[in-house]
Amino acid sequence: MLILVLYLLGVALLCALGIWFIGRHSRHSRHGRFSHGKNPVRTHGTTSRRKNRPRLGVQRKSEPYLFLLPTLLLLLLMFGYPLINSFIMAFQNYKLTAPGKIYFNGLDNFRKLFGESDIWLIIRNSFIYVLISVLGQFLLGMTLALALNKKFKLRGLYQAIVFLPWSLSAFVIGLMHRWSFNGEYGVINDMLIKLSLISEKIAWLGTPGFSLAVVIMAMIWMGIPFFAIMILASLQSIPISIYEASHIDGCGPLRRFFQITIPYIKPTVIVTILLRTIWIFNSFDLIVVITNGGPANYSQTLPSYMYTKAFSSYDFGLASALGVLLMAVLVVYVTVFLKTTRYNKAGNF
Amino acid sequence: MNRKKIVLVIAFIAIMAGLAAGPSAEKQTTELRFIDVSPSPTRQEYFTTTFDKFEQEAGIKVVYESVPWDDAANKLTVLGASNQLPDVMTTWAGWLGQFTEAEWVVPLTDYIGSATDEYAATVTQLVWKAEKELYGNIYTIPDGMMVKGVFVRKDWAEEANLDLDPKKGWTYSEYFDTVYALTDPAKNRYGTSFRGSRGAFDPLYVYLESLQGGSAYAEDGSTLFANQEAVDAYERWGALYLNGAAPKDAINWGFVEMVDNFVGGLTGTLINDSEVAATCIENMTDDQWMVMPMPSSDKDGMIYNTVNSPYAYSISSSSKNKDAAWQLIEFLTRPDNNIEYCKLTGLIPIKTAVGDDPFYGPDGPYATFVQQLNDPAMVVPVAFGPFNYTDMHQGMMHEELQKYLLGKQTAEKSLFNVVLELESRMKAYLAENPGSAVEQPKGLL
Repeated sequence: MLILVLYLLGVALLCALGIWFIGRHSRHSRHGRFSHGKNPVRTHGTTSRRKNRPRLGVQRKSEPYLFLLPTLLLLLLMFGYPLINSFIMAFQNYKLTAPGKIYFNGLDNFRKLFGESDIWLIIRNSFIYVLISVLGQFLLGMTLALALNKKFKLRGLYQAIVFLPWSLSAFVIGLMHRWSFNGEYGVINDMLIKLSLISEKIAWLGTPGFSLAVVIMAMIWMGIPFFAIMILASLQSIPISIYEASHIDGCGPLRRFFQITIPYIKPTVIVTILLRTIWIFNSFDLIVVITNGGPANYSQTLPSYMYTKAFSSYDFGLASALGVLLMAVLVVYVTVFLKTTRYNKAGNF
Repeated sequence: MNRKKIVLVIAFIAIMAGLAAGPSAEKQTTELRFIDVSPSPTRQEYFTTTFDKFEQEAGIKVVYESVPWDDAANKLTVLGASNQLPDVMTTWAGWLGQFTEAEWVVPLTDYIGSATDEYAATVTQLVWKAEKELYGNIYTIPDGMMVKGVFVRKDWAEEANLDLDPKKGWTYSEYFDTVYALTDPAKNRYGTSFRGSRGAFDPLYVYLESLQGGSAYAEDGSTLFANQEAVDAYERWGALYLNGAAPKDAINWGFVEMVDNFVGGLTGTLINDSEVAATCIENMTDDQWMVMPMPSSDKDGMIYNTVNSPYAYSISSSSKNKDAAWQLIEFLTRPDNNIEYCKLTGLIPIKTAVGDDPFYGPDGPYATFVQQLNDPAMVVPVAFGPFNYTDMHQGMMHEELQKYLLGKQTAEKSLFNVVLELESRMKAYLAENPGSAVEQPKGLL
């Protein structure tokens, strides 16, 4: 409780300092930039005006940083501490069940991690999960956005319905899929048998391969609206005059799509794919609810495994090592992705 | 923003921090925190009503807290690590290794004093004896006693012309035959609620122990299951799933799915604790279900069955009012309160003073369970060990079994991976605790 009090007081103090700095700075700026004749400093003639110039320059340069200060301080407090602590814990023997036996153990957690019999299966699962989920969400989201970009009757209502999955919590979506794919009572098996597509019930959640497929399907279903919303917004920002001009010039629909639409929405697509990849890679809630990583880790991914390690064996050292590994993978991915997609040049015509 | 506003912001946050800091200075009466790890509307109502009575009698206020069973181990571990455990906790016996190792619970031996003769033999000779052997002291007061039995679909057994008599009992071979006889895929009926996920090793381990006189370790801590006899038994157990006597989804089943599918009419047998009887009474008709005792060993004819208390009461070491906490436990286990609680939750009372209640007599719904507790052939096999095995119980044990059931590894490798890990922990425990010995099976008589 004492830590909480100190923490809150710390936040209050830092916020107040930030606000005070900005308040002080904006007063100076106002006096310096907008008061003509009333400011005694500026009425003293050219000499004193020159003296003030360098100071004003410094203030102008520091302005953005000062405005960012409160947010940065809060981020530092909220994320900085856990981040640094997880790095430290990754190199410690840190078991919640043995608080008296915490010590640095070098790279032991990483050795233990890569010595686990299922680690390569879990890494493989993670890549399949992320790749198919992002690809599925992108392709279906893009299709949906293109369809919704055209005007038709009740478009607003249709749009609201198809965007619904995004408003549901992962827990609800997880439960929905768990019951739908239940081997004995699930609606999917029932439907497939009635359509004569299968003759025997499939144990979706109890069969390696299928269990991961169900989680991927749920993830795709949940994420399509996000892609659709982002791409649709981007599509609607393309000036119609460009399409009209291309039409006059005799440009076909395919060429219009690849030469106009795609370049215009490219920055949005890049950022959306980037964000979704990071989110999907880090997400574990759907997996925990639908399969809990089973059977025998066949639907386990790195984050869900990290959760399991942290909260079933209470080995926070090993879980933190996994967290550091996840972070490293994501940093490499983001760097390579932004380089290869030439993000900083995207959208230039 | 002017300075006044800044001062106001700081003052507001400081007040909020002050409010979060702790109890009001005006508080005079003792207040206890109680946490229930298996909440349900019935249990919550019982506890809150009983706490009101306790406050009237003892002048001590009790705040009820709860955490769903699936999250309970995690929450208590986090609370324990941050020294914030409530004064009185309902505790599962399987957590005691971890809790005593971390010193999160206090010994209760001095509190119990000479009152041991008030308690039933199941408490003194089984639960407390085991706690003393494993952890050197008594750490819990049972909330009620629980013993396992085999719940059977009575109507299915009659249709299949099976002669099942609880008084006569049965062997494991007869149990396996019954499971197969009750399986009828055409009618969407499976013989058993097979446990493939968390807790999968619990009934399986008892079956393996039934071939070793209830033991699991030799004196030096070596496992007794790294041999062909145990592998054969392991395969026989797994065959229930592999031969289709359980739904394929059962590989992911834990407690909830097992019970739901038995009560829901998908499976014909269910090995579980007496607490499930309350669910059966509520959801099934009398002609639909019956309880058979646990099967006896094919080797020596003894019944190996676990007897424990599902959510025993313990006092946390972070409690500032330990004497008041003990007063609360005494009140909860007072015969009148305990029998009310046991009837609500499907348990057998812990005090001798309530032993003659007709509800627990030969014609009551708990007849088979009480019969087992009085059976001279019943032996309580040893637990996984005195060390912390929570991580194995929540991961490795069922994952290894699942790999075998999925054909990803042999029965031998699957079994040996688990028992050899248990062996290494047991040997490490014996080495770290000079003078300690391997636990022995216990009988009541």
